Amino acid sequence: MSKQINLTLKVWRQSKGEAGRFETYEAKNIDTDASFLEMLDVVNDELTVKGVEPIAFEHDCREGICGCCGALVNGKTHGSHDRTTLCQLHMRHFEDGQELVLEPFRADAFPVLKDLIVDRSGLDEIITEGGYVAVKTGNAPEASTTPIKKEFAEAAMDAAECIGCGACVASCPNGSAMLFTSAKVSQYALLPQGHPERAKRVKAMVSKMDELGFGNCSNEYECAVACPKGIDVKNIARLNREFIKHGFKS
Amino acid sequence: MSIKTSILSSIGQKLLLATSGLIMFLLFLIPHMGGNILFLFGKDLFNSYAHHLHKLVPIVIGIEVLMLVSISVHMIMGIRVVLANRKASAKRLSQKSSKERSLAARLMPVSGGMIFIFIVKHLLDFTIAGEKAEIDMHGQTGYDVYGMVLDKFQDPVHVAFYVLFMVAVGLHLSHALQSALQTYGIYVPREGSKIKVVSTVIATLMAATFAIIPIIAFTR
Ligand code: SF4
Ligand code: FES
Repeated sequence: MSKQINLTLKVWRQSKGEAGRFETYEAKNIDTDASFLEMLDVVNDELTVKGVEPIAFEHDCREGICGCCGALVNGKTHGSHDRTTLCQLHMRHFEDGQELVLEPFRADAFPVLKDLIVDRSGLDEIITEGGYVAVKTGNAPEASTTPIKKEFAEAAMDAAECIGCGACVASCPNGSAMLFTSAKVSQYALLPQGHPERAKRVKAMVSKMDELGFGNCSNEYECAVACPKGIDVKNIARLNREFIKHGFKS
Repeated sequence: MSIKTSILSSIGQKLLLATSGLIMFLLFLIPHMGGNILFLFGKDLFNSYAHHLHKLVPIVIGIEVLMLVSISVHMIMGIRVVLANRKASAKRLSQKSSKERSLAARLMPVSGGMIFIFIVKHLLDFTIAGEKAEIDMHGQTGYDVYGMVLDKFQDPVHVAFYVLFMVAVGLHLSHALQSALQTYGIYVPREGSKIKVVSTVIATLMAATFAIIPIIAFTR
């Protein structure tokens, strides 16, 4: 049964080039069936009526698949709910009268653009370096020409679940993008289609990650706790192996 | 990517950290602990161990040089990584760590720094400024290293210092061992990992063994 709750929001407000600050707003009569982003929509409607600039936040699919949304809710990326993106987080997990602190995903490589929106294009740049396979164009090949063992197919699919939301970076005490990069490297390293560019890929993606100012993984595993897609640190071990195997050959 | 960029990449630096750490662990810490245990068996055995060690000077010097290189690499890489990570993480005002991050992981730079201070002090105590009385060892001149250890640990403050710093060694090792394996690409699972348990057990046992020597010396 849905009910209505009232919340107090402390929201990070910041425009580009400006120092940010927390502002306090009331979120009134929020349906517990609403998603977190729908709650923000309601607050924004009221702010607009009052002539206050609405809170900027990023979103697209609202189905947990695009990786656009995300913020720290009470200090936790995407809120604290297990394997849930912010858009899929429902207000029934909150209590009437609760205070929520909303802060953007923070990392040196994720500059704040506005309010809760950060520039995560660094992740795209890492993808550009090697997140592809070269294939002949034309018709799709016959599915059974390249047999793939079930365990490899499954592990590759698990890695491919990463939606590039950046929660791993924002939760990592080192602002490291290792979980993201490891998922992307793994997804190709596990499949025969990814093998021709294997050596080049791992070197290029790791060096881009370093160049953009993401931190060094120190095996704290906060990323895997925060990841809404359950990407496992097994991928980081695999990335390390890939790098040991291919990273030192010129 | 040139070899130099690979070595100084985030993964390359961690490999250097792990490798220099493992060298110190295997070639220095474990043998040192083995030697220390002999202290518990009394004056004669310990002195004769020290005496024999003295005969192995070329090997000992070789290991010392290797230690010096390892410690330098470990510290340089450690400082580089910590500074880069401070910058990369940016200031987070409301962030809370989950239970995932162990105290040992959190304190790596602190425990590492403490271990460095300890090594300097330890070298001053026993190698550089350690005064040993000459004794007769089965017809040869030896030194009463046992007596020197007893003498150093008559001061409870000194004993407390050693014990405290061994806590740092234990904390550092408990994260370091499992972390090094994950860095080498050996999967250390987040939950229910035997490797994590074994790391903690080894670290605790080693730290306890080292810490017990000053305590025993004090009581003797
Ligand atoms: S690994 Fe997880 S947390 Fe990181 S970007 Fe991918 S989906 Fe988001
Ligand atoms: S809006 Fe697409 S994942 Fe949340």
